[in-house]
Amino acid sequence: MADALVKTDFLGKDEPAATKPFVIWRPQAKTGLISWLTTVDHKRIGFLYGISALFFFLVGGVEALLIRLQLMVPNNHLLTAPQYNEMFTMHATTMIFLAIMPLSAAFFNFVMPLQIGARDVAFPRLNAFSFWTFLAGAIIVNLGWFLHSGAPDAGWFAYTPLSTRTYTPGHAMDMWVMGIQLLGVASIAASLNFIITIINLRAPGMTMMRLPVFTWMTLVTAFLIVLAFPAITIALVELMMDRIFGTNFFEVSNGGMPILWTHLFWVFGHPEVYILILPAMGVISEILPTFSRKPLFGYPIVVFSGAAIGFLGFGVWSHHMFTTGMGTMATAAFAVTTMCIAVPTGVKIFNWIGTLWGGHLQMRTPMMFALGFIWLFMIGGFSGVMHAAAPADAEQHNSYFVVAHFHYVLIGGSLFALLAGIHYWFPLLCGRKINEFWGKLSFWVIFVGFNVTFFPMHFLGLNGMPRRTFTYDGNMGWNQGNFIATMGALVLGVGVFIYFAVMVYTWFKGERVGRDPWDARTLEWCLPNPPPEYNFRVIPTVHARDDWWHTKHEAAPAKAEAHGGPGHDHGIHMPFQSIYPFIAACGILIGAIGIAVVDYNTDPHVIVGKKLAVTLVGAVIMITAIYLWALEGNEGYHLHPEEEGHGHAPAAGKHH
Amino acid sequence: MRLPKFPASSGLWIRCAAILAGALSLSGCEWYRLDGPQSTITTEGPVAYHQTHLFYVTCWVTLVIFIFVGSTLAYAIWKFRARTEADEHAEPPAQSHGNPLVEIGLIGASVLALVIIAFPTIHDISYTYDVPQAEKAFAYNVTATGYQWWFKFEYPSETIPGSGVLTTGNELVIPAGRPVHIDLRSADVMHSFWIPKLAGKVDMIPNRANFLWLQADHPGYYWGQCAEFCGDSHALMRFRVIALNASDFNAWLAHQKQPAHVPDAAAKPAAQFASLRTFGTNEIGFAAGDLLDRDPFAAWKQKQLPDATPADPALIAQGRALFASKTCIACHTIRGVEGAVGVRGPDLTHVGARTTIAAGLLENNPEELQRWIHNPGAVKPGNKMWVEGFVANNIQLTPADETALVAFLSSLK
Amino acid sequence: MSNAATGAIDHHFDPTTSTGIPNKKLLMWMFLASDCMFFGCLISTHLIYRLHPPPGTPSAKSVFSIELTSFSTFILLMSSLMMALAVNSIQKGNLKTLRSSLLTTILFGSIFLGCQVFEFNNFVFEKHLTITNSILGTTFFTLTGTHGCHVAVGVFWLTLMYVRSFQPKDTTADRSWFVRNLVHIVACLGTILLGMMLVLKLVRSLQGAPSFGAGVGLWLKDYWIALIGIAVTGTLMRILARPSGAVAFDEHNAIDVEMMGLYWHFVDIVWIVIFTAVYLLEYI
Repeated sequence: MADALVKTDFLGKDEPAATKPFVIWRPQAKTGLISWLTTVDHKRIGFLYGISALFFFLVGGVEALLIRLQLMVPNNHLLTAPQYNEMFTMHATTMIFLAIMPLSAAFFNFVMPLQIGARDVAFPRLNAFSFWTFLAGAIIVNLGWFLHSGAPDAGWFAYTPLSTRTYTPGHAMDMWVMGIQLLGVASIAASLNFIITIINLRAPGMTMMRLPVFTWMTLVTAFLIVLAFPAITIALVELMMDRIFGTNFFEVSNGGMPILWTHLFWVFGHPEVYILILPAMGVISEILPTFSRKPLFGYPIVVFSGAAIGFLGFGVWSHHMFTTGMGTMATAAFAVTTMCIAVPTGVKIFNWIGTLWGGHLQMRTPMMFALGFIWLFMIGGFSGVMHAAAPADAEQHNSYFVVAHFHYVLIGGSLFALLAGIHYWFPLLCGRKINEFWGKLSFWVIFVGFNVTFFPMHFLGLNGMPRRTFTYDGNMGWNQGNFIATMGALVLGVGVFIYFAVMVYTWFKGERVGRDPWDARTLEWCLPNPPPEYNFRVIPTVHARDDWWHTKHEAAPAKAEAHGGPGHDHGIHMPFQSIYPFIAACGILIGAIGIAVVDYNTDPHVIVGKKLAVTLVGAVIMITAIYLWALEGNEGYHLHPEEEGHGHAPAAGKHH
Repeated sequence: MRLPKFPASSGLWIRCAAILAGALSLSGCEWYRLDGPQSTITTEGPVAYHQTHLFYVTCWVTLVIFIFVGSTLAYAIWKFRARTEADEHAEPPAQSHGNPLVEIGLIGASVLALVIIAFPTIHDISYTYDVPQAEKAFAYNVTATGYQWWFKFEYPSETIPGSGVLTTGNELVIPAGRPVHIDLRSADVMHSFWIPKLAGKVDMIPNRANFLWLQADHPGYYWGQCAEFCGDSHALMRFRVIALNASDFNAWLAHQKQPAHVPDAAAKPAAQFASLRTFGTNEIGFAAGDLLDRDPFAAWKQKQLPDATPADPALIAQGRALFASKTCIACHTIRGVEGAVGVRGPDLTHVGARTTIAAGLLENNPEELQRWIHNPGAVKPGNKMWVEGFVANNIQLTPADETALVAFLSSLK
Repeated sequence: MSNAATGAIDHHFDPTTSTGIPNKKLLMWMFLASDCMFFGCLISTHLIYRLHPPPGTPSAKSVFSIELTSFSTFILLMSSLMMALAVNSIQKGNLKTLRSSLLTTILFGSIFLGCQVFEFNNFVFEKHLTITNSILGTTFFTLTGTHGCHVAVGVFWLTLMYVRSFQPKDTTADRSWFVRNLVHIVACLGTILLGMMLVLKLVRSLQGAPSFGAGVGLWLKDYWIALIGIAVTGTLMRILARPSGAVAFDEHNAIDVEMMGLYWHFVDIVWIVIFTAVYLLEYI
């Protein structure tokens, strides 16, 4: 294990030249726990995001399997009703906020700065803070499993007034509310960072229309997060005020309107759908050209359709609310905008097929997942169009048809793309490649298991089975569909197990590969693997879209020389590591525990009760850490990498 | 170690898929048949018909697109895949960057396909929203209110002197062949009112005046269920709709307006059922194959008739007294029973004439009725009768009490 | 770019970035875009509930005091002017003007906060509008309270920036600077808080007293400790603000002040929207 960790250290060659004020702790560890807690390296932070996301993905998967086992036969009693409700609430929360989003964030962190030729993100310490705050939020959301209160159980929409104190007493819901707010803070902070990085830290010559599509989709996603998360944060603040201070936002007896929650939730919730799928589309738009060995078909249109999806994504939220009695005008308007958003989505599929057309398709494992993505996302997209027809949606809404639809887009879409991305960038992360046989086997098992699980759910929904029901009677015609779905879920579980086993095996023992094993197209592949901690010895100058391919196959030798030109004499400027983002996040965690988990002190004589005390302690830790963070400043040291082996010039011979 | 390679030929895969598909269809599966009691496909009224018809339109349009796009995709994968080692190392193909004309053509085609869906969508949005203008005067009005976890139905046009409007619970009786306008209200959290064969769902939202309309083309018995997650027992919040022709409906109304039935003291008592069967956790509340399972509408009609073998009038009287002394009256209304004016639970004036109890969960027979009042918390987790009635007031029922209450409630035809 | 040769800093172009916009400025712009959505949701909540008042809701007009709020609005707008002067002075490297402008901005911000504290007190204890007893109270206090928190964070940030402008150049040599720094921050915050409290208490004493002299006398009797306190913190501030060698704060830090300025102006603009949507709308 120690060996494996050392491997990912992205070690530099130089010791930092510290100028250290006496109050500031300047950790310099390059290995070990401290190095991970204090890291500001985007690659290491991306790795941390990835590991956390995969862990929570397994947790969410276990929750999903329990749900399916409960529904395997009618009138089953594997889980009680409250347990089942906890399962589906936490399954959704975990998969959306703790698995898919951070997995995307892992790619944003690891890949995006490399793709644009940057040394790091714009604000490395803020980046570390985002990760640790994300982890704090994830802990708070899941804390209920280990406490008397149990896990949150009001569904991931947390529709009011069900989620208010009257109907869901106990701290589980407080933890959910608090945890999602922290996740929001983390996501917004991270996204601000990505936006600034993409806009401001592009290598010379990397114009916006030369950005790799994955970077473009990162940018659109980051904008969506920055503009959509405030809506749910405010909704959660209002709910928290209702729950903790007894305000009236959703208190029906004092004029509160629960419909307000549904609007605020979905104003966030629909852009969130695109937050989950756009990074996936970006990954696919990288993998297909690489393995087709030709450029993306219609790059500008793919980019603009991604931006259009992001823009229109803010105008379709009420299609989740067709059954809330909005009136004919509003319903028609949202039905039409929803159909509009299908156009840019369809355009992407056309362009991906166009990319395949006339290419030399190399059927490697990432390519298999990417092609699987196109098929499944297409099916999910079509059932999405069916929901845009509002009257038809009145029958399908909240039925298993919808469950089938969003699993086709979230698993068949987002997850397949992310699994493809893991295999695709794995050689860059650790210099090893996944075995093709086992990779393809995991693909086929996952693909079959997925379809056997979710395809029958369309029929269950059309046959009238509502979602979020912990049991059903045997005379409704739902028995076989549910049984098949559960069998499929078990196959899917086996597939995911194979996938993970292969990944872990490859990490330690996989086949070693050299630089650029796929003969890929974008800048990150010009680096040795794993990339050095300073990324580029010399910031490259970009001459074309798909610049690395251009350099390898098309550029004149003079240009290639410019790529590998001499470095600056004073070395590469690297930021110091910092512990303060981690401490600030710890303070936030403690404060959140104070607000959400600790009971009120009912003794009226105690002025500062336990709840307030814990919260204040957290706040003080947080403020102190941020103060020291500001004091230590964004200083750094200079690194002088050796010329050999770290150059930017393409590996000789291999692809020529 | 040499690992096996996947066969390059896809023939094997196709054969495997064909065998799998064949096995599935030969095994007599019913999973793809859409004729369950809550099917959205076998519709029984104009609203659901329009909604399903629109679904078919979307299905056909997307299916056609799928065939075009899917076959292109399949062909591209088939045609351009690398077949041999040599293919893998061939010179890269032409680095073409796209074709604007193809792009614009495809965008135009997708817009066209969506327009085909948009027109019927917009037409049906207004049609399914409210009763058509021409039939407004003819429509019948009902108010449905969602509670955790049951439905209350009120008939605003049917007033009973001294008792307000006619109220029932969990079984909604409507006239067939006539539009019914249903006002949707909620007493606590969000619910959603859904009778798949008659109409798509509309949510019951606190502090919001929603409504829907539907029409049952034929007399019959329809299944409904809450479709918005509403707490612990959301899955058990079901209801039934019984559509009757005009004369039956009027007769039903007239009978419902009567106060609760009091048995003739001279009636000859029938044998009582002996003792409580032990029910498993979450055990089904229906006996497969009995009348309610085979022909629910007939079962409902039978329920309306007086019992062929009435229970012991003394036992019923005892149950009636227990209904008051065990504080049931605080939450349940039974018109004709002194003090039974509670409104937090369903109106039980004619509960004996319903086919189901506990919000469509259990068949209304003495065994299931006793199962329900013996331990409501085991039948429907978290329900108010258990939490705020039995547990909060420390109500204990002996088996004899239960028998008497069951006899009383069953007699309320 | 030509400025680079002369050694002067171009405050509108950062050659190290792709766009020439300094990273910090862009970060603040993006954050403010996000903050717009936060306030947008809160203001919509208020406006939606304003349109659907449940029976028994007190009329906002009977609760509000438009004169006081107009005054505090004016003060907040003037603080924006001082903030702009502060940014301008640091861009020219004028530390003295920077410090006095920052202090004035802090003063104006504190007056605004004081007015808000007075207003909240008045609403709760005299008009009986609380955050729990009506939907108006709920949305009003949450919205204006959130804005107040933004102003308070701004004042805190301004204070830190003011103290930062005294940081010596060589912090490794001057080992006491950290403690001095902390004491300075505490003294500033103490002066602000004590000042706000004293003024509010004076107003209260004057309101309750039969004559001006009696009011002031009562106030002096009750709050002499606080008066001593503010004298101490004020003196500390004065002492610590004495010039002592070269400081590590000059034109290069203009971007930090400008970033803070963007935030401060945004908070002012949001207040104009809130003032219109929450207060003025009631008087149409």
